[in-house]
Order: sequence, then C-alpha cells, then structure tokens
Amino acid sequence: MQHAVATLSGGNLVSLRWVSSETTDTTMPTEMMMTTDTPMVASTAVAETTGPNPISPEMKELQWGAGSFIVLFILMRLVLFPRLKKGMDARYAGIRSDHEDADAAKSGARADVVAYETALNDVRAQAATRIDAARQTLDTERQSQLAQVNSRIAARRAEADERASAVKAAGRGQISDAVAAIATRAGEIASGRTPDAAVVKQAVVSAMESAGAR
Amino acid sequence: MEVLARLAAAAADPAEAKNIAAAGSAGFAYGLAAIGPGIGIGIIFGNAIEAMARQPEAAGMVRTTMFLGIAFTEALALIGFVVFILLKYA
Amino acid sequence: MFAFEFPPINEILRWQDIFPGFNKIALIAVAATVISVSLFLIAARQDYREAPTGTRNLAEISVEFIEENIIMQTMGRDGLGWTPFLLSLFLFIYLCNVPGIIPILQMPATARMAIPIFLAIVVWFVYNVTGIKHQGFFGYFKSVLFPPGVPKALYVLVTPIEFISTIVVRPFSLAVRLFANMLAGHLLLVIFALLSEALFEARDKVLIPLGVLPFGMLIFLTGFEVLVGFLQAFIFTILTAVYIAGAAHPEH
Repeated sequence: MQHAVATLSGGNLVSLRWVSSETTDTTMPTEMMMTTDTPMVASTAVAETTGPNPISPEMKELQWGAGSFIVLFILMRLVLFPRLKKGMDARYAGIRSDHEDADAAKSGARADVVAYETALNDVRAQAATRIDAARQTLDTERQSQLAQVNSRIAARRAEADERASAVKAAGRGQISDAVAAIATRAGEIASGRTPDAAVVKQAVVSAMESAGAR
Repeated sequence: MEVLARLAAAAADPAEAKNIAAAGSAGFAYGLAAIGPGIGIGIIFGNAIEAMARQPEAAGMVRTTMFLGIAFTEALALIGFVVFILLKYA
Repeated sequence: MFAFEFPPINEILRWQDIFPGFNKIALIAVAATVISVSLFLIAARQDYREAPTGTRNLAEISVEFIEENIIMQTMGRDGLGWTPFLLSLFLFIYLCNVPGIIPILQMPATARMAIPIFLAIVVWFVYNVTGIKHQGFFGYFKSVLFPPGVPKALYVLVTPIEFISTIVVRPFSLAVRLFANMLAGHLLLVIFALLSEALFEARDKVLIPLGVLPFGMLIFLTGFEVLVGFLQAFIFTILTAVYIAGAAHPEH
C-alpha cells in the first residue's frame, strides 16, 4: 500500500512523494529537505527531471550578475582604483623622497664632519706653528738676556779682579818696600854699612814671588 | 522496499528506464573523468615541490605556474562533473 | 534505520524570488559590488600619508596582490594598466564565492552558471579585442591559427585545434572551471550537512553518535571551501591575465 506524502515549507508545496506503507507510521522522521523557499513543480518520484537544467544560466541571475559586475568595473576603473592608487603612489613617493632626504642629510652631515675635521687640523697646525714661533722668540730672548747678563757679570768680575789685583799690587809694593827697608836696616846694623837699595829691593821681590808661587 | 517498488514500476515506463540508466552511468562518467586529472595533478604537485625544494628563491614563480597547470588539468575532471550533472538531471 | 533522501537538485540551487526577478544569486552579486565599492570608498577616505590600517590596508593588500602575484607574474610591467579590470574581476568572483560558507546565505553565487558564463564571455571579448588591437585583425588570427615554428604540413592539424582551443574551449573551460568547482563544493557541503542531520535525528538511538563523523567532515569541508573560493577567484583572474598577455604579445 502506498501513500502520497506532501512536504510543505512556508506555505509552498515542496515535494510530493510516494511512500510505501511500511515506512509511514505516526512518528515520521523529520523531512530531510533543505529548508528552501523555492516552489517546486510537484510531481511523482521523478521531480528532479522537471524544472530547468541546473547548468543552463537563468536570465534574471545573468542580468543582475552582469549589471553588478559592469557597475563594479566602471566604478573601479573611473573612481575607486585611481583614488586609492593616487594615495598609494603619493605615499610611496613620499617614502622614497624621505629616504632620499635622509640620504642627503646623511651625506651632508658626513661632509660637515669632513669640513670640521679639516678646519680642526688647520687650526691645530696654526696653533702648533704659533707655539713654535713663540717658543723660538722666547728662546732667543732668553739667550740674548742670558748673554747680556753674562757679559755684565763678566765685566763686573773683570772690574773687581782688576781692582783686587791693583790693591794686591799696591799691598805687595808696600810690603816689599817695608821688607826692603827692614832688610836694609838689618844689614846696616849687622855690617855697619848701607847696602844698595836696588839690590835689596830685587832680592825681596824675588823672594816674595817664590813664596807666592809655592 | 521503496527502491524495489520503484524499479518494478520503472521497468514498464521507458522514460523512467532511461532515467535510471542515466543515473547509473552518471557515476561512472565522473569516476572515470577523475582518474586522469588525479594522476596529472599529482605529477604537477610533485614536480613543483621538487622545483621549489631545489630553488627556493624561484618558489613564487613555480607556485603560480603550478596553479596554472592544475587549472588546466583539473578542467578535465570538472567537465566530467558537468557531464555527471547533465546525465543525472538534464 | 534512518531517513536520508537527497533533495532534488533544483531545490538546492534555485531560489525563490525575493521580489520578482531578484533572487538570492542576484542579491549576492549586488552585495559583492556594494561591498567592494564601499571597501574602496572607505579606504580612499583614510589618510594616505600614514601607514595603512584596517580598511585601507585590506584594499591596498588586494591591489598589491593583483599587481605582484598576478600581473607581474604573467604580463610584466606593461600589464599594470590592467589592474582595475583584474581587480574588479577578482573581487567580484571572490565575493560571489565566499557566501557559500557564510551561514544563512550558504550559497556561492558562482555555483549557478549565469555569473561564470557572463564573466567568461567578458574575458573572451577582452582578450580577443586586445589581440586585434595589438596585432591587427589578420595579424591576431594569423598568430592564433598559424603559430610560428610549426612545420607547414602540420598546419592541417594544428589550425583547427588552435581555433577550437583558443576561440571555443577557453571561455567554456573558464566558466565551467569556476562553476563546477563551486557547485561541487556546495553539493559536498549539502550532502554532509544532510547526512549529519539524518544521523543526529535517527530513530535508532545507536546511530546518533555516528553523526559526529559527517559533521566533522562538514567542518573540514567548510574550511576547504574557504581555500577553494579564494583559489578559484585567483585562477580565473590569472588565466585572464595569461590570455590577455598571450593576445598582446604572441611571442611569449
């Protein structure tokens, strides 16, 4: 015995099947239908063969799909893509120019460092020459002053020597005179006659000189 | 039971008999169509992996070309699938 | 046992009109356009001088993906002018594929033949027109039908093959590849969803725990469909780029 089972979904007849009596009882399992709103052309067990071929395109889907794609493409071509791309290009150009700026700044800084170092070397060299010159002038001045002082000292010493030798000579003359007088007197007393003054004087001087040399 | 009843009824109806034959051959259509592309895609993938392992720096180009090759090979299996649907439902 | 019956295929694929002449597929197609347009509009509003974040980052990643991974790999630097076309193609296909795994929608718009066949025809026109523009009408068909470097005698064989493969099979395979991939994925999801539902609600209580198996497969396949949706959009776009590049510069 067979029953016709109608499956209803949202008020639409979804399918109509023949079911043998063995499987139909009061606790029918829930229908395994996709919940769908499509109103099916109900028929017997060969429901699949009716209705349009699943491969053939449907006109309304074709129209809507084509319309949406064309709208998307035109908008993309004219508005959306150029706007986004402009921003991207601007940013990439900005990044590139920033990079270039940074490179330029780096090389500028490097050039500055080089210039600073050359300047520093110049200054150092100048300072060295100046110091050398100053040392030289100082040296010459010192030398000259030293020479002056030395010469002055030498002159004084010579003067003092002269005076001293004069004084010495004078002293020696007086002493030799005194010694000669004493010797003459002693000779007069001893021999009763007066010895020649010139001989006595010479003998005294030679004796004094030999004593001084000793 | 149901199937048997249907088959018994179908034997009398020539349109039904054609449907059943089509449903039976539809499975074979797809199954046979999948053999060749299956082997082909395996070969493509294997060689692509080998190429990428040998030259990792060319991996991007190899991957793109691999997808192209798979797309062409796979088309055959997909035509089999479409034939399956045509046989079963058209 | 348990009741498992696969519903008629049109019940899975055809959708009732939301209002006359406008069904779920049309809704998804319109939504794809609206989403892409608003994505790019919002992205363009953000300050371009700062590092991109959020929406702008997404839009720029899509642009750079098209430029780096599709155009530079196939057409080289000359092809950068094609970015808007390929970008809208990619975004549209991707956003039509993705609803296949989004709850409530659960339907890839490309699993119906309408959108793939339309896009394939557009691509067919684009690459043929490009070829004619770059090489002249006769030059283009000469390079297509009589590829250089083939012995004269073989042209009897090569020319019909080239004609069929370039003019007939290309748009057909482009459309069928997208359509069949998405339809197959959708049917797999339907089958495993129905199977797990049937097992979870089986009258025989022993069968109920077994429902975990198809349910796990369902989750795995959902993840797989994410990949497939992206990959199919990528493949459609890169094949378009390859065809355009081949038409513009036949020597490659």
